[in-house]
Amino acid sequence: MRKFFNLKFILIFLIVSFLIIFNVFPMSYLIFRSFFDSNNFSFSFDAFKRIYNYSLNWNALTNTLITAFFSMVFGLIIAFPLAWLIGRTNLYFKKFFRTLFVMTYMVPPYVGAMAWLRLLNPKVGTLNLFLAKIFNLSENPFNIYSLSGLIWVLTTFYYPYAFITISRAMEKMDPSFEEASRISGASPLKTLLNITLPIMLPSIVAAGLLVFISAASCYGIPSIIGAPGHIDTVTTRIIDYVYVGSAEGLTDATTLAVSLMIIANLVLYFSNFVCAKKNYITVSGKSVRPNIIDLGKWRIFFTVLVFIFALIVIVIPFASVIMTSFTKNLGKPLTASNFTWRYWNILFTRKGILETAVNSLISASVAATAGVIISCVMAWLLTRTNNKFKSVPDFLITLGSGTPSIVIALGLIMTMSGKFGINIYNTLFIMIVAYIIKYLLMGMRTITSAMNQIHFSLEEASLISGAGWFQSFKNITLPLIAPSVVAGWFLIFMPSFYELTMSTLLYSTDTKTIGYELFTYQTYHSQQTASAIATGILLLVIIINWILNKLTKGEFSI
Amino acid sequence: MSSVILNDITKFYGNIQIIYNFSNVFNDHEFITLLGPSGCGKTTLLRMVAGFEKPSSGEIKIGEKIVNSKNKFIPPEDRGIGMVFQSYAVWPHMNVFENVAYPLRIKKFSKNEINDRVKNILEAVHLLEYINRMPNELSGGQQQRVALARALVSEPGVLLLDEPLSNLDAKLREFMRFEIKEMQKKFGITVIYVTHDQNEAMAMSDRIIVLNAGKVQQVGTPLNIYNKPVNKFVADFVGRVNFLNATAEAENGIIKFADGQFIKYSGDKNKFKSGKIILAVRPENIEINNNSGMLRGKLINSYYLGDINDCRINIGNENNNDNNNNNILRVFLPGNTYGKINADSEIYLNFDDYIIFDGDNE
Amino acid sequence: MKKFFIFISVVIMIFLCSSAFGAANKPKIMIYTSMYEDIIESMTETLSEKFPDYDIKFFYGGTGTLQAKIAAERDSGKLGCDMLMVADPSYALELKADGLLHAYISSEAKNILSDLEFDPEGYWYPVRNLNMILAYNPEKFNKNDLPKSFKGFAYNSSVKNFISMPNPLTAGTALVAISALKNKYGYEYFNKLAENNVMVESGSVALTKLETGECKIIMILEESILKKREEEDSSLEVIYPEDGVICVPSPIMTINDKWSAHGNSKICEKLTDWFLSEEGQKYIVKGWMHSVRKNPPAIPYDSINTENIVKNSMPVDWQKCLNERSELRKNFDEIVKN
Repeated sequence: MRKFFNLKFILIFLIVSFLIIFNVFPMSYLIFRSFFDSNNFSFSFDAFKRIYNYSLNWNALTNTLITAFFSMVFGLIIAFPLAWLIGRTNLYFKKFFRTLFVMTYMVPPYVGAMAWLRLLNPKVGTLNLFLAKIFNLSENPFNIYSLSGLIWVLTTFYYPYAFITISRAMEKMDPSFEEASRISGASPLKTLLNITLPIMLPSIVAAGLLVFISAASCYGIPSIIGAPGHIDTVTTRIIDYVYVGSAEGLTDATTLAVSLMIIANLVLYFSNFVCAKKNYITVSGKSVRPNIIDLGKWRIFFTVLVFIFALIVIVIPFASVIMTSFTKNLGKPLTASNFTWRYWNILFTRKGILETAVNSLISASVAATAGVIISCVMAWLLTRTNNKFKSVPDFLITLGSGTPSIVIALGLIMTMSGKFGINIYNTLFIMIVAYIIKYLLMGMRTITSAMNQIHFSLEEASLISGAGWFQSFKNITLPLIAPSVVAGWFLIFMPSFYELTMSTLLYSTDTKTIGYELFTYQTYHSQQTASAIATGILLLVIIINWILNKLTKGEFSI
Repeated sequence: MSSVILNDITKFYGNIQIIYNFSNVFNDHEFITLLGPSGCGKTTLLRMVAGFEKPSSGEIKIGEKIVNSKNKFIPPEDRGIGMVFQSYAVWPHMNVFENVAYPLRIKKFSKNEINDRVKNILEAVHLLEYINRMPNELSGGQQQRVALARALVSEPGVLLLDEPLSNLDAKLREFMRFEIKEMQKKFGITVIYVTHDQNEAMAMSDRIIVLNAGKVQQVGTPLNIYNKPVNKFVADFVGRVNFLNATAEAENGIIKFADGQFIKYSGDKNKFKSGKIILAVRPENIEINNNSGMLRGKLINSYYLGDINDCRINIGNENNNDNNNNNILRVFLPGNTYGKINADSEIYLNFDDYIIFDGDNE
Repeated sequence: MKKFFIFISVVIMIFLCSSAFGAANKPKIMIYTSMYEDIIESMTETLSEKFPDYDIKFFYGGTGTLQAKIAAERDSGKLGCDMLMVADPSYALELKADGLLHAYISSEAKNILSDLEFDPEGYWYPVRNLNMILAYNPEKFNKNDLPKSFKGFAYNSSVKNFISMPNPLTAGTALVAISALKNKYGYEYFNKLAENNVMVESGSVALTKLETGECKIIMILEESILKKREEEDSSLEVIYPEDGVICVPSPIMTINDKWSAHGNSKICEKLTDWFLSEEGQKYIVKGWMHSVRKNPPAIPYDSINTENIVKNSMPVDWQKCLNERSELRKNFDEIVKN
């Protein structure tokens, strides 16, 4: 028993020290730098005053808050009904839709930004022209180079985060809560509003938070959509300041980053405060057949509605990206004479692209593997032990994910390049660390919730049979939570694979990532090549999904 | 208040048939129990009455109203029934009052009426003092009573209960049985009760419907079901029973067991035919009578259960203690006989309360 | 489950092995450059034939990006590169002043166009001539309706909302351009750009807008237009501005052994000679940039005579461009981007 306790303690200690060194310390350093003068170590708000005296930064801050807030609201407005329709009703093609919506999570968001730019630009946007013609409008209805345009694109690419979170919670909710309401005389709609929605509130808040932080820390989309309309966000300003290259620029970047971090942490704290009071245990004792609500005469209507949504948000932009990858000249329609394999050829022959793909594959795989290992240990600590320190790493992991990625990257650069004895700058390791800190939470939540559903007695039975706890975990628990472990692995792997915001700051000569390469092709060299890369990533995801499905005999698929 | 009529109900999940042509009339004020092992289709039937599942074919009537037929389906909210779920389903974001008031609010009752009704029903389930508590501050039994109050508050014609007591501990379960029965009498309501626990079924029901693999095995009063089971399944599922392979010899009026011992047949001679039979006898219907006992046996072991002395007695050959060979009888004797029977001496058994099934009636 | 992890580890192993065996133990040269990857790609093959004993690698980034990277690397005492081929010549002045560069008198120096400056001590040489020009799409708009000078680009309100230019924060050539334009027209030019609602964005984005008609006229490097014309049969056309092309003779420099990543300055000297040689310059021209040699081996596809462009270019004061760099960027940020 004594040994058992020590082991727990060592595990907690290891995870906590990792998080303190690579997360807490860099963040603290940023805060320190922004509040204390580097010469005489006196406390002051001067850096903040200077930064926010400059109206551009002030605007960037308000833009970030507005876009992140509305992306969160719209993301939830989209994600909740979708999760409900797909998880709880007899909508047609549910499985297909589910895969489709989760798939969006697997594709780099800035690729879609480019597609939206072509579709909805105020002058010659394809969709704009089309709509103007159909409805006989005197001018084009949409302008993507606006705050609302930015919100739209952010929403369409971050709602899957909310969709995944809410779907998972909905699967866990005891369906008799809803049935009890129906039998009390409430219609499905009233039940949804009176019962499902309030019970799901903590998950909805968590999902909203995820969207808010992701949207607030996104660089790719605002840099593409925002630039033409002179809409800056905190992230684009931070990158700009870093590119200025001077010490002053770096201080300004730090100060901006710290304000973003403070906002994110306030939101995190607030949502925890709201949820803590209302943390309902909704897991039912017995595995219930999910009750399927019959949509009746609305069934076709809702299917069509979801289909139209999928068409607008996924099919049209993706088709546009795929078509771009075959288009010789973007000014002309894709006809036989304007068709080319050239860019696909580049994709498979250019050394730069292949090397960066390998870099990303390695760092994302390592991050995901390390991430699920930590997640498994954390899940075990959280669900199976009563150690009072177990909440410490849990809190730190939540904090890490709640920190905007740009802040994590900036903190790591400034502290991990040898100044404090650790020099991992210019190595893949710094990327891996950043990815783990940022995306660990998604993996941990998935695995913990799976573990919650496996009764402790199964492990106890193994322990009694004489197996050690590690053996028990390996032989009994792990096989049972395997599908969730694989899902958790992917939830960390995919965003790490095409990560842009952090990689933009952290990459170096030998460690350039596919995300950054794609972004440079997108913005500097050739959008067609970028589109080919993006389509390639999409194909890769589909192929891996297919292989896994075969290997695990259908046990796992996205 | 309302009767429930199920007419020729079948249910398929894909190609698998869950319910085979179920028909029955649940009378007004009747307490009906659907009893059977898990997977027998009892919950599915209940959920079809509630409107959470649609039958593949057949018709359901509640009161005078057809709620489900080939081209008609009334959703659960419009069926005017109450239901208590296995997991209680007490909404965690509402306090006791709000939970119970919910059905009335939905039906747009006035504030005063809601207040009065909720208080009355909470008083009936002894929860009035907990009116402002949140569900997570209540015990399992209290949550169960909230669920019951919520199901009854709008005075439905029919109350459905889906294994409502299975998550409670033994003592509380017995108490709640009594409570539920009292409530049914008080409100004069038709109750359809689903359980796999035969004791619950026996204690509360007016009528029990025993189901297995989607088919009705027997319908009857508890007395009827227990004493006159129509087949081996019912005899085995309800209560405890010994099955003995035997041969009936009509010409001699005896039933002969494997190694030559026999008993006299005491029932209706007209129904007695020669051939292989299975004799079913309940442990409590066997007595030891060394004077007039017809079956010779030897005690193998016995367990003291307080009120009962639970014995196993071999009526076959000396050395054959194997349970599978139909020679071992389980016998319940009064508790005070424990330790008074000698394992070495021969004892004689007597029983005349038994049922005969055909030998091939497996 | 097991299969899944085996699958993943096999994938990782394959890539680790392939990348480990790929790099043999040759002396390494790392070149940071802002040249297009297409051009780098075509060059590497020839270079590996010419210098078979060396492992020559390029790292692509915009000038601003590379500057930021170098600034961070200077903190740690060593740079990640041995040679530098960024767009902005004023950056060479800065690095020379800071003592990071290696001096070498190239035998090719005498062949450099007389109008182009180079460092007399041999710290840097121009290696490619980049031209900031205006461009339009004849399929969508009539040339006669469009301004034909940088002045008109900013001052002519008929193109308001329809113009785009690169970002001086990330692109070195854009910084040079705003420096030259500010010298000629003062900060008023910035105000006019703002009034005309110029979109500040990267080249590929701007080009697409020109193709689709979203922009009428854009400020861009000549090479990107020529590339489009040759590779994509694009009909985009260059306008050589009447107030002078902004000519950016981009330097090649070698980092001295104290600062360089691999300390192979002798090899870098040979590389400098090769880049300035007729053969090296051919690759530059093939990459749609102008040669820096007196008798250019060729002119880029669809372009005009190199010497004429240089002669009629807008003057740029490189020292001033360096001194005012932060101020220019800041003012541009404040006036144009706000």
